[in-house]
Amino acid sequence: MSRGKSGRPTRPSGEAFWWALFSAGGVMAAIFVPAFILATGFLLPSGDPAAAVEGAQRLAALAGWWPVKLVLLGVITLSLFHCAHRIRHTLMDLGMRRLAGFLKLPCYGGALAGSVWLALVLWGI
Amino acid sequence: MAETKTITLELFRYHPETDSEPRFQSYEVPYDEDWVVLDAINWIKDYVDGSVTHRWSCRMGVCGSCGMMVNGEPKLTCAAFLKNYYPFPIKVEPLVNFPVERDLVVDMEGFMDKLQDVKPYIIRDDVNDTSGGEYLQTPAELAQYKQYSMCINCMLCYSACPVVGHEDDFLGPAALALGHRYNKDSRDQGRTERLEVMLSSEAMWGCTFVGECTVVCPKHVDPAGAIQQAKAMGAQEYFKRFVMPKGAGATKGAGA
Repeated sequence: MSRGKSGRPTRPSGEAFWWALFSAGGVMAAIFVPAFILATGFLLPSGDPAAAVEGAQRLAALAGWWPVKLVLLGVITLSLFHCAHRIRHTLMDLGMRRLAGFLKLPCYGGALAGSVWLALVLWGI
Repeated sequence: MAETKTITLELFRYHPETDSEPRFQSYEVPYDEDWVVLDAINWIKDYVDGSVTHRWSCRMGVCGSCGMMVNGEPKLTCAAFLKNYYPFPIKVEPLVNFPVERDLVVDMEGFMDKLQDVKPYIIRDDVNDTSGGEYLQTPAELAQYKQYSMCINCMLCYSACPVVGHEDDFLGPAALALGHRYNKDSRDQGRTERLEVMLSSEAMWGCTFVGECTVVCPKHVDPAGAIQQAKAMGAQEYFKRFVMPKGAGATKGAGA
């Protein structure tokens, strides 16, 4: 293994993979999730309760369409991995740096479990 | 004649050959609102206590020598005016996250090694060939890296960064920003060599985007932004290896 001047191993790290998920999830969480919340939570519901119910039913029907399922899966899964990475690095900042490797298990494992659960839910719609 | 106003400086003192542990020593310094903390320390050294040891050179925020902790914040002491602290005492300590050599002087060796690791110079295959004249750049190409070239290696960002304090393998803000500066330079051909080092486990990925490096930078370099861009570049390089596993990507030019 080659080393830099400061004795650092110059081995490539899998951290790039997790960071890429984090980065993609950041875009999702920052742009798409607020847009979804704005659309479904504030713009679609009107003052008329009957219209609101109809709107919600239409949305539910829309979520049953497979391209929309794929979009939801992508947006939410990447957002989960974004959260997982942020939580892992926050725990490292809080003094758990030695556990950096182990923390991958609960953090990314949790995001993966959430993604699988989401996929099952979407499958069932 | 009016009584001369004074301000108290509490200096961190440590002489390893005589002191078993560091201590603080207070000095009364004449207060002048045009004075900076460095002027006050120089006054102490010239008129009160010649044993006070500190680094400084240009007095105008260019050389990057006089970085110290001023009331707990990393600052260039040539740019920290006494009037911003008066009438309260000012506590001056050596930059944190570095070993102390003597009084306010820190050991820069580790930082210099990290700086060399990112090869902060233009790397070209045809470096001796000047027959084509100078390497021309458009203003847009210059703008890609100019901001990051303003770094004066004052190391304030290393004192501000919590990761530098926790993780020895982390290259740190200034070195990463400088590495990125050359990676973004259109004249450079050494990106793969640099990424070889920057992509290793904690060298760059150790950054948790606290952002304090950018807050304290006296030259407005934005190392935090540079690191994020370098991570994006590194991630591209990482995935490229799966697409083009052999002979491509950051495997070229492994160096020593």
